[in-house]
Amino acid sequence: MANKITLESYNRYIPTAQLDIIKTLAETLGPAKIQQINSTRMGGGVAEILQHLLPLMEELGFKIHWDIINGNPEFFNITKKFHNALHGTRAEFSREELDTFREVTADNLNVIRNDMDFHVIHDPQPVGLIDARDNTTGEWIWRCHIDLSEADNRVWGFFRQWVEKYDHAIFHLPDYAKDLLIDQMIIPPAINPFSEKNRELSNEEINEVLGRFNIDPGLPIILQVSRFDRLKDPVGVIRAYKLVRRYLDSQLILAGGGAADDPEGAQVLAEVYEEAEGVPDVHVLDLPPDSNLEINALQRAASVVLQKSLREGFGLTVTEAMWKGKPVIGGNVGGIRRQIVHRSNGMLVQSIEGTALRIREILADQRLAEHLGENARKFVQENFLLPHYLQNWLLVFHSVRNGGSNIVRL
Amino acid sequence: MAKEFEFFTEGGLVKYTGYTADSLRSLLIGLENVSGSAIFYHLHHALFRWHFETGGHLNDFSRWCWRQLQENLLAEKLSSVDPLSYTSIRDAREALIQHVKNHIGELESLPRVPRGREFYFTEIKSFIIPTGYIATDLQSFYNCVEKIDTYSVFYHLIESRVRTGQPTNDFSIWLRESLDQHELADQINHLSPYVYDLHELRSKILEMTRERLNGE
Repeated sequence: MANKITLESYNRYIPTAQLDIIKTLAETLGPAKIQQINSTRMGGGVAEILQHLLPLMEELGFKIHWDIINGNPEFFNITKKFHNALHGTRAEFSREELDTFREVTADNLNVIRNDMDFHVIHDPQPVGLIDARDNTTGEWIWRCHIDLSEADNRVWGFFRQWVEKYDHAIFHLPDYAKDLLIDQMIIPPAINPFSEKNRELSNEEINEVLGRFNIDPGLPIILQVSRFDRLKDPVGVIRAYKLVRRYLDSQLILAGGGAADDPEGAQVLAEVYEEAEGVPDVHVLDLPPDSNLEINALQRAASVVLQKSLREGFGLTVTEAMWKGKPVIGGNVGGIRRQIVHRSNGMLVQSIEGTALRIREILADQRLAEHLGENARKFVQENFLLPHYLQNWLLVFHSVRNGGSNIVRL
Repeated sequence: MAKEFEFFTEGGLVKYTGYTADSLRSLLIGLENVSGSAIFYHLHHALFRWHFETGGHLNDFSRWCWRQLQENLLAEKLSSVDPLSYTSIRDAREALIQHVKNHIGELESLPRVPRGREFYFTEIKSFIIPTGYIATDLQSFYNCVEKIDTYSVFYHLIESRVRTGQPTNDFSIWLRESLDQHELADQINHLSPYVYDLHELRSKILEMTRERLNGE
């Protein structure tokens, strides 16, 4: 797990006093042994965050074992189907599919190390590993990174039998929490300010990206970065832009991806092109995966960033734009409304007309834009950078060890 | 010899209580039944989480009523429940409950928010952490305040009222009782988190202390 960024590196963004809290929390835990298990070491948000988080835990003196479950393509097809069902897509599962899941889970029980202080299991794929609990002495924590608020009840019921055996479950938002008998902690995700998607960029780097996509840096940029998905309402964004154009010169960039391997995404992209037909200065960018530098540059070049979602999980794209000091206009949904305080560090909207109104307001008032952007960055700096996420994890470990009281003196 | 002042800071882990509100009725049920720690989180701790927004709706209940339920009159009344005026969470809870009950009594029907706009009652598990900073006189007090983080400012300046049951704060108590600095203690006690965010509060404390040091 190579990583050149140390905890001290974050002193650039986080005060010394806060890094000291993290060190104190780690010292009072002692040199714990922690096993982290998920389904893949590369690709996806969970792997990405573990790649940055676990070296920091090692630096604090913990002994970390990052293990992966093994499975055949059939197993991962079934878990992908589970993933969609847990997100609300109706699906039927055969007895054979459920049996395959149980069998592969049982085959993976030997991945559990018996001498750990903590076992952290990420997401539904490995959740059944709790069946190995009797051979262990450590505490078990299930970390769910997905939105379960619309989960198919039957599918959730299938997983719930395992989740209830854990000591703690952790969700991003209370909206995702379920009716469980175990403690459910709420830990929002975080961004890494040193990643390619969030690191500081030079003007040359930004301009290179703008040049590649023929974007005029002299015209105000309205940007939305999202998959081409109806729940992100890209067609609504274009309609809002059309309203703005009556009053202000500007350009719209819709930067997304996923259309290539998602039939619905391709359909939405087609709808976007149709809506944008004949509308000047609309750039629709269908980006490949891992276009992190491009997204970074576009966000930094934007005058205003939209996330006009009709439904949203936590909304890390909002966090990223806020971190870059941009005024963000977001749909009044999900995690967006937990990050944006209307007119203080961003704007919340409910309609196309509202979106257009707020865009016009921000583009016409540079001081307002700067005020919102400045507050946005400070808010992320105080709440959603990787050291906060690390601190929350240390508090979880303390909590599991310290039991019931709501006030713990260390 | 003056008693020393040990600076602590705080880490908080948020936990879902199981109570959710989508109407005034379920909001009332939640207010009546959740733990004191949940009332503290949504009322007092909101001052920490939203400290950069020194006006507006400063607790989670009023914010929800305003933005999601769109009961603006009730939102204003809930905003008026000032956590700094209550030294017990029980009294603050009662004040919130009374406002909601009174408002329900005046409505012909109870609005309900659409799915996805509910209020989730959460509570906080607080971890009190020693910072290692200890003040023994006014100069060392100044030096320590320069180094502490916003969690520590919140813990000693704002949360202390609930912890001690007194309408004052840890800094003022120590300055008054250990250093005889009554005027400085009063000045600090009058600092308002509704006018200054936590960074500014710390700056104001430093400014006031520096003036006192320069005058000595």
